[in-house]
Amino acid sequence: MEKSFELSGKIGIIVVKGSVDALTAPHLATFISEQIAAGHTRLVADLAGVDYTSSAGLRVLLGAVKETRALGGDLRLANIQPDVKKVLDLSGFTSILKHYADRDSAIGSYGG
Amino acid sequence: MAAPKKLALVIGSGSVKCAAALGIQRVLERADIKLDMLVGCSGGSLYAALLALGYPTEKIAEMSSSLWTHDLTARPNRRALLQAILPGIVKFDERFSLRDDRKVNQRLEEVYGQHSFEEAKIPLYITATDFMTGEMVVLEKGPLLPAVRASMAIPLIFPAVKSEGRMLVDGYLADPLPVGVAIREGADIILAIGFEATNQSRLSSLGRYAFQFTSVMSNNLLKANFAFHNLAHHSEVLLVVPEFEERVRLFDTEKIPYIIQVGEREMEKQLPYLQQLLAA
Repeated sequence: MEKSFELSGKIGIIVVKGSVDALTAPHLATFISEQIAAGHTRLVADLAGVDYTSSAGLRVLLGAVKETRALGGDLRLANIQPDVKKVLDLSGFTSILKHYADRDSAIGSYGG
Repeated sequence: MAAPKKLALVIGSGSVKCAAALGIQRVLERADIKLDMLVGCSGGSLYAALLALGYPTEKIAEMSSSLWTHDLTARPNRRALLQAILPGIVKFDERFSLRDDRKVNQRLEEVYGQHSFEEAKIPLYITATDFMTGEMVVLEKGPLLPAVRASMAIPLIFPAVKSEGRMLVDGYLADPLPVGVAIREGADIILAIGFEATNQSRLSSLGRYAFQFTSVMSNNLLKANFAFHNLAHHSEVLLVVPEFEERVRLFDTEKIPYIIQVGEREMEKQLPYLQQLLAA
């Protein structure tokens, strides 16, 4: 799994590639926590390059959502690939997380 | 040295679609990966039981093709109409069903009648629902026949099964994908094969109406329970959701080879990660 961070105005973009699973999830969790600790609480996770997630990946996403929302921010998802969408749908995640077709829509959802 | 990881296969409810579990087993066999437990619910119990007994997948496909045919529900239960209209005179009780279950009992007897949980080569758990309380009942001892029959006792279609003072009905009413059983039994890695019930395209009969009603509820229950089990436990759950390009109906057993193929395809996608997890 690869991960990187960039800013689009005041919105932090976390770009993830590869599998988010039990072997990689702890690294992603630490990476997201570091961004939040640095003051980036309005986040977009761009999942265009994520082809797989398991329960461990779901736990990371939920943890990040809780962490950012507790600080008045959010974690919103963009570019979810079909196999990942299946898992998110079946686990009810798409009803508790905001998700968008592309990165610009996710960034735009935060308004000004 | 760390203890070897325990691998479970949980086969959720899904009638003939559950044959996709045979595709999973084929991929596991080719990769020399052995299961440590099997959990089956409703249609999934038919396959979980035969896999646990050690039948080859080809044989299971053949057995389930002749077991699960359209004529299982062909004969109406004539008493049901009278029970519905005159419940006080023709006694209405918790074993009410619209279909006569003699045929299904006979078919299940032929396949499972001589077998017990104790013979299983892989520990086996079959789920049913206590109709009077809604609780999940995990069956793991004794003869297989009543367990499988209870697990697939679709309310209104087949009568409930009386067992140790309880009236048992289809396991999907408690949890269509009982991942929690594998967690409770100590599985570290759980392959969960689940199916959302198909929505009816037209609600043109009472039967279709009832199916749609229960599908909506069971699909929402599936998601709610699956979310809980994913988030509340440390076990790693690998979800296998076969995508069928062809429509698969309740009794489409002629499509079993295709269904198995789809199961294999979906499992192939998960295999590299599963191998990494087992080696980690």
